[in-house]
Amino acid sequence: MVKSVRLSPIGYWLFTLTLLLPSAPFALADDQVAVTVQRPWMRAVPNVMDSTAVYMVLVNSGSAPAQLVGASTAIADSVAPMITTKEGEGLKQVVGMKGVDALEIPAHGTLVLEPNGNHLMVMGLKEHPKEGAQVDFTIKLEPGDHEIHLKIPVQKKPVK
Amino acid sequence: MSVVSPKTTSVPSPPAKRPFFDWRVWTVAIVLLVAVGLAVLFGVKQNAQQGFFGMRLFPLKTAYDFKLHGPNDVEVRLDQFQGKAVLFLFGFTHCANICPTSLTNLTEVYQALTPEERKQVQVVFISVDPNRDTPQTLEEYVTSFDPSFIGLTGSKPVIDQTVLAYGGSYEMVAGPTNQPNDYSVNHSAYTYLVNPSGKLELLYGNEKLAEVPRMVSDIRAVLREPRS
Repeated sequence: MVKSVRLSPIGYWLFTLTLLLPSAPFALADDQVAVTVQRPWMRAVPNVMDSTAVYMVLVNSGSAPAQLVGASTAIADSVAPMITTKEGEGLKQVVGMKGVDALEIPAHGTLVLEPNGNHLMVMGLKEHPKEGAQVDFTIKLEPGDHEIHLKIPVQKKPVK
Repeated sequence: MSVVSPKTTSVPSPPAKRPFFDWRVWTVAIVLLVAVGLAVLFGVKQNAQQGFFGMRLFPLKTAYDFKLHGPNDVEVRLDQFQGKAVLFLFGFTHCANICPTSLTNLTEVYQALTPEERKQVQVVFISVDPNRDTPQTLEEYVTSFDPSFIGLTGSKPVIDQTVLAYGGSYEMVAGPTNQPNDYSVNHSAYTYLVNPSGKLELLYGNEKLAEVPRMVSDIRAVLREPRS
């Protein structure tokens, strides 16, 4: 049993990196993804909201593109990758969001999930973790049906 | 292939040593310096003329006096806030990305003002989703950002009229499950600033709201304007 511990940002980083270590020797194989996660956070939302969003930066150090195909957490019914859409011009422009099957992390590139942009929408919240809490969160990547387990801090504002 | 080159008698002279005070280098440097200087001066002047970070409307026109419903179903009109700068935006509480981002940014802007200034500023969130957002849920929602924020909504025709009056737009988009309550709303994401005289003065696209110091300086400028 692993005791849940509160980690400083650096500790958190090291912890995340440790999780990725076992996959490192296979990182060059075609069906493996060489993706690391930076600055993940979940937006703290009031109890009246039934959804929230998770943001992070995914860094792909591999020579093949990887896909973020989904995620899961015990505190919500489902999580889906979303893009922000803009239609129309000027004042008539409407901004919305749209579910997508996958978000690509280009080879030797990054995928930025950030407020107002691409994000992971967490739907059907069963709990409303408060600012400062940590949430277990698993992201799913392709190819290789790869999973990365994260502990994500809950915050009102982005990780600086 | 071999080409016999004519033999030249002159020995190539070593490249002339360029003196430190080469006039060509100095000309280029001075021209660049003057250009940069002019650009900076002109830029500063431009900025001083435009002054505002938001998109300023001209001529200023009286803002449409919306009549919506707030906490406890009480009717709230825009005109009630005369004397205050009102920042309002359209959205819905099931919005997980854009609306909370805008409101978080507006909270930072609001809280960066002095207590005296805050008394003259009202942030209003207008839900375009009265089907799911009651005045009560809206109150709980907006006050979680700042206790002074007000959430308003109304019947669909009243909301439509309000959105139209501000040149905005919104549309419901069905979600993947086909359940009647599974839908998202694509909506105008501008924040409108109505000045203390009730004139619609500035517009901000949702991404601008993150520029807290510039937003604060706009609001201060609006509060300092002579009232009409």
